[in-house]
Amino acid sequence: MDAGDTSKGIAVNLSFKDIQYRFARFLLTVAGVGFLVTASVGMVGLYRGIIADALLVIDTIGADLWVVQGDRQGPFSEGSAVPLDLDARVESLGNVYNVRRFRQFSYQFLHNGKQSRAAITTLDYPKDNGSWLNLVYGRSIGAAHFEVVADVSSGLHVGETIHMGKDEYRVVGLTAGMVDASGDAMMFITLNDALAISSQRTSEEILLARNAAQAGNQNSGASSSAGRISAVLVSLDAATDPGTVRDAMMNWGDVNVLTQADQSDLLLNQRLWRLRLQILAFTAVLLVVMAIIISLIIYTMTIEKLHQIAMLKLIGARNALIVSMIAQQAAMIGVGGFAFGLLLSNLIFPYFPRRIVMTPEDLGLLFAAVCIVSAGSSLFGISRALSVKAQEVLS
Amino acid sequence: MSDQTVPVLSLRRIAKHYVSGESVVRALDGVSLDIMPGELVGVVGPSGSGKSTMLLIAGLLETPTEGEVFVSGRLVSSPDANLDELRDFRRRNIGFVFQKANLLPFLTAAENVAIALEIDDVPARAALAYATELLEDVDLSHRIHNLPARLSGGEQQRVAVARALANDPTLLLADEPTAALDAVRGRQVIEQFRAIARAREAAVVVVTHDQRALEMFDRIIELVDGKLASIRTPGALEGQVI
Ligand SMILES: Nc1ncnc2c1ncn2[C@@H]1O[C@H](COP(=O)(O)OP(=O)(O)OP(=O)(O)O)[C@@H](O)[C@H]1O
Ligand SMILES: [Mg+2]
Repeated sequence: MDAGDTSKGIAVNLSFKDIQYRFARFLLTVAGVGFLVTASVGMVGLYRGIIADALLVIDTIGADLWVVQGDRQGPFSEGSAVPLDLDARVESLGNVYNVRRFRQFSYQFLHNGKQSRAAITTLDYPKDNGSWLNLVYGRSIGAAHFEVVADVSSGLHVGETIHMGKDEYRVVGLTAGMVDASGDAMMFITLNDALAISSQRTSEEILLARNAAQAGNQNSGASSSAGRISAVLVSLDAATDPGTVRDAMMNWGDVNVLTQADQSDLLLNQRLWRLRLQILAFTAVLLVVMAIIISLIIYTMTIEKLHQIAMLKLIGARNALIVSMIAQQAAMIGVGGFAFGLLLSNLIFPYFPRRIVMTPEDLGLLFAAVCIVSAGSSLFGISRALSVKAQEVLS
Repeated sequence: MSDQTVPVLSLRRIAKHYVSGESVVRALDGVSLDIMPGELVGVVGPSGSGKSTMLLIAGLLETPTEGEVFVSGRLVSSPDANLDELRDFRRRNIGFVFQKANLLPFLTAAENVAIALEIDDVPARAALAYATELLEDVDLSHRIHNLPARLSGGEQQRVAVARALANDPTLLLADEPTAALDAVRGRQVIEQFRAIARAREAAVVVVTHDQRALEMFDRIIELVDGKLASIRTPGALEGQVI
């Protein structure tokens, strides 16, 4: 055994006994660091969650092209209404593998005596039977009418019935994690059912629209869209060039065609731009706060030990012993705090109203940040500790 | 004392000057002395006379501005000595006791003593066994497994003495070790030093303000303004002025 090994062995022993001696304080410190880590994980996860929720439909529905109302960037960034039979026109182009009609609108319904909000999303049944849904319970839609697949976050259960429009709908399946950009649970029904529900709704809305029109508000086009859809989704054959198909449709003059990438870009850089920036700013602030507090904790811990370090130097301890004792305790606080924070995150975030996405990459970066902050501040403390003269502290 | 006996500690014309801005403090100003094996020497003098400074230089914790320090005949420190390189030498040859015991609060009495041995690469089990023996020597066999917070001030100081003895030092330096203790316990600690000097043939140098303990020393060195003012042998009525 060389001298370095012995020093390390003694240091482990000393660190362990020191922590044991003030165990409650150590736990509190670890918990404090852990809560900061939890808050940071949550903030980063909220940011990721908002993006993931916003892009969910675009990313999973499997459409290469979105055919929307002319001169509009719909249907998520702007309103869009296209004729019900637009799909036939698209199909006639050839080279298309699959064409579906799409509509999504917010809807309030009564559930257990409470008003609930959902984002009704259409399935163009039977062409689209919802195979792209993240089904966790029950089955997908298997009939042309009066069946609904709801997200678990709606609070609905399989077998329940809810009243929408003029009819009773039966919940046949549940999805997980399928919400719209504002976090409302999605409810999937057939397109024909959705049209029926929205035409029922418009009789009330017509009145509102009329009033709005009288007040000089011209922007009431969306409310008269009962018999229309928002977009037609196109999946292309593998060999087909999307540009060609897109140009062909653009030549009709009455539609706009957006790719999946266009839709992502519109959502992230137009609709969610301010929210994203705000959350990112808060995340940055929180990470800075976390870094400052962790480094203060570790630096203060080292400075508190100056007296003991001076004593160890006096009895001839090698620097390796002193350095590894401080480094070990810093590591235990850093790693322990991170582990605690991660555990807490996994325990509490599933119960949060919005999705918190924890990716291994983000967690890895956060762990690296905690390690760097801990190491940096303990190095700073160590350099203070090593430069102190034994007699300054002891006599 | 035969002519062959080498002093444990020899200071030769030691000066220590602290420069702060324009003014120079002459904390020590040409101190020379020899301390023999088995000798218990007291250091007295008014506050600021350089007692602690002398101990720090003798203990290789400070370099002198002028002069040389010999330990067991070997030149170890001079104005350009590197104290960090002397750490191993210090650990094996010199023990310290201060006014406060400075024990590690999270280690038991025995562990506090054993750590000094473990640092010197003694295996943990052997270190603990020897630490227990040392604590028995300072009459603390009943306190071996207690944490410092459970020990009285006098008991803590005796643990510190045992720790200072762990590496069998030839030179034991103590700076006001009894200042925080009452008369009885202070006397016990000095008696301990007396026994150590005799049993281990070590040189023990104790800075003290305690007038009542003075008659237990072999010699008493008095510093005034950084200079040796007198060396007395207790019992003699008059100090011998040099
Ligand atoms: N690091 C230092 N820097 C500047 N001056 C110092 C330093 N250490 C000691 N001195 C000065 O050197 C002189 C001697 O100090 P020292 O501590 O040796 O005195 P002392 O005899 O131990 O006093 P006391 O009985 O109060 O402990 C004092 O004037 C003190 O102010
Ligand atoms: Mg002093």
